[in-house]
Amino acid sequence: MKKLLGVIVTLFLLVGLSACSSDSKSSSTGGVKDEKTDKGLEEFGETIKYNPNKLVNNGDPIQIEYWTWNDTDPVIKMAKEYEKIYPNVKIKIVKHPWDDIWTKLPLALKGKNGPAMFGIHNSQHDILIPYLAPYDISASDLEADFTSVEPHIIDGKVYYTDLVINTGNIYYNKKLWAEAGLTEADIPKTWDQFREVAKKLTKFKDGKLVQAGFNYNGGGGYDAIWQGMNYQQGELMFKDNGKTVNYDNEVTKKTTKFLVDLYEVDKVGSKDFGDDSTMSFGNGQTAMVYKWGWMKGELATKYPDIEYGVFPTPTPTEEIPFAYDRYNGESTPGINKNQSKEQQAVAQDFLKYLLANDQYSKEAAFTYASFPTKKSLANDEEILSDPLLKILAPRIERLIWPGPFPATIETTSKQVIENILYNGQDMNTAIKDGQEKMESDMKDALFTSLENKYQFFNEAN
Amino acid sequence: MIASIQNKFKNFLSLKNVAIAFLVIYFAIFMVYPISKAFIGSFYDWNPLIDQFNFVGLNNFKEVIGDGLFWNSIKNTLLFTSFSVSFRLVIGLGLAMLLHSKLAKYKSFFNGMFYMPTITPLVAVSFVWMWMFNPQFGLINNIFHLDINWLNDPKYALPAITIMTIWKDFGYATVIFLAGLMGLPKDVYEAADVDGASGFKKFTNITLPLLKPTTIFILITSLISYLQAYVQILIMTEGGPGTSTYVISYLIFDEAFVKYNFGTASAMSMILFVIIAILTAIMFKVTEERKITP
Repeated sequence: MKKLLGVIVTLFLLVGLSACSSDSKSSSTGGVKDEKTDKGLEEFGETIKYNPNKLVNNGDPIQIEYWTWNDTDPVIKMAKEYEKIYPNVKIKIVKHPWDDIWTKLPLALKGKNGPAMFGIHNSQHDILIPYLAPYDISASDLEADFTSVEPHIIDGKVYYTDLVINTGNIYYNKKLWAEAGLTEADIPKTWDQFREVAKKLTKFKDGKLVQAGFNYNGGGGYDAIWQGMNYQQGELMFKDNGKTVNYDNEVTKKTTKFLVDLYEVDKVGSKDFGDDSTMSFGNGQTAMVYKWGWMKGELATKYPDIEYGVFPTPTPTEEIPFAYDRYNGESTPGINKNQSKEQQAVAQDFLKYLLANDQYSKEAAFTYASFPTKKSLANDEEILSDPLLKILAPRIERLIWPGPFPATIETTSKQVIENILYNGQDMNTAIKDGQEKMESDMKDALFTSLENKYQFFNEAN
Repeated sequence: MIASIQNKFKNFLSLKNVAIAFLVIYFAIFMVYPISKAFIGSFYDWNPLIDQFNFVGLNNFKEVIGDGLFWNSIKNTLLFTSFSVSFRLVIGLGLAMLLHSKLAKYKSFFNGMFYMPTITPLVAVSFVWMWMFNPQFGLINNIFHLDINWLNDPKYALPAITIMTIWKDFGYATVIFLAGLMGLPKDVYEAADVDGASGFKKFTNITLPLLKPTTIFILITSLISYLQAYVQILIMTEGGPGTSTYVISYLIFDEAFVKYNFGTASAMSMILFVIIAILTAIMFKVTEERKITP
């Protein structure tokens, strides 16, 4: 009896252990067999053309996995459209939280059972590039149809590129704006004008700040804005060797002093006025914040009652600066080079379907509140009718991309401003310490700056 | 001969042996292997996400020991641990004594209430306390009419996290101490009553010495737990403002899972392991029974 119990326990534990193993192997069974070559659909696309009248995977059922962190990833909708055309193909969408996907994904891609296709964020370039298959589409064809492809060409091949590009803008609360007696004519063009507007939007009660004119507390505040303000003054983020960060310099000190003075001299905000400027804006306690395109989705989801407007980030003077700001792109998907040839072939075909398709770029533009890089959409009426995208359009050419720089540049700069504001550290010392930390964190990084690919690079300081 | 082998096989497959075997396998897979891997990895420039594994000798240890942030994190860890452990013991024992006394009513109810924070997930508790400490709408400032930016003021950030941790964990000590008190022999107290000992004398000369094993148990487990604490830091301050609330485990997490420097993180882990081992050994030494020599 004891022996039988021992055997049962053994089997139970073995089953339990095997259940813990991941079963991410993509099944070769997708939908039904497809025998209809002529779908009755038209070919579409500009230089990259897609003809749907064919069989994918010879019409045999196949399933591929697509991993993403984003519930609103436009690939999800496009996958359903693709499956309608090719009923033998099943694209299984697998979602992982942002904090998890950047460890799970590379580990999955190392093996043979990782997803055939996955969302990419260029901040994770270093850990993904070893596993990416080059696009079957030539670099020249991609450059013909999309802007900002060139920084993504590696040895003549493209592994992913920018689908839409994004930068910072000023979001303002329309109700608080009107209460302060301001109109659209008061929208500031320079930082000096911005400061005066912020003062008008600031309110105190019994000596305590109750409404901030401008708030940059928390992530996506100082750590993002200093970069743009430095570029506006012609200061590059990296030194001549393209590898050493250029943080400790007079322009950074000037930028940081301006932002610190907004709080401590002009009193338009406060380090103690909450630690999350997004929440503060969403709750109607802050009149203006500097945020990137994701803010649109955040406000729509969490703070739908806020009536807000957007205007371009001010500049030092009314003349065109070296660059208005840096941009970053939401990327096209990646393809797993360790997956089977059949899986990769389907992934490459689906990718071509996406890139030839204006709808994919449009969905991404509205989802991410970012300007599409697809040239055919540069003057699209629907795109330009969006208030945020309308602001981005005239500035697109004067946005610079330094490349997928390591996260330490933003995380360390956030610590620098906290050390200055909260820990009372001297500004020059804090910036110097920040420079040292960034350099230390980046000493083994494979990163090289792409600032020299900016078309106005020669105008830098 | 065959019967002998069959008997030995039957004994081998007994429930006891099977259970022990699985425990051994479990520890080998989930403890021995990862710890060994981390030890070896501490001598390498290591990023498993891109199969980077280059031998660097003692460079990781030299970098860690020369890093001011590492020593600041150690300091914060020791401060956080010492206060959390001390208050956990004192509050836990105090409440256990109250619950054990004849004056206390509804003991089961209060026992359950005190233990509830312990079983609440730390992540959820951290989020709630983070909101409670919010300088604009938080409960703490509103109830006590304060104007403190708790989690962004370096003077208050670590104490705030410590307060939350003590609140969450005192119930565990209460329950353990209560069990210990219930197991104490009554005749010793009766003898003390006959001798006219005061309550304080009974507490210091009888209760405390008899509760020593329980106290040591709570002390050691608390020490080990708090020296590795990082979840509350991750949620409430992310090590800020600046780096003023970095503790060693958060630094290790940051190094490994944000910067992907697994080699450096492993070196820090090894140093932390040695520190915990030394502190535990000191604790055992200080609290061991003095042997009576004839």
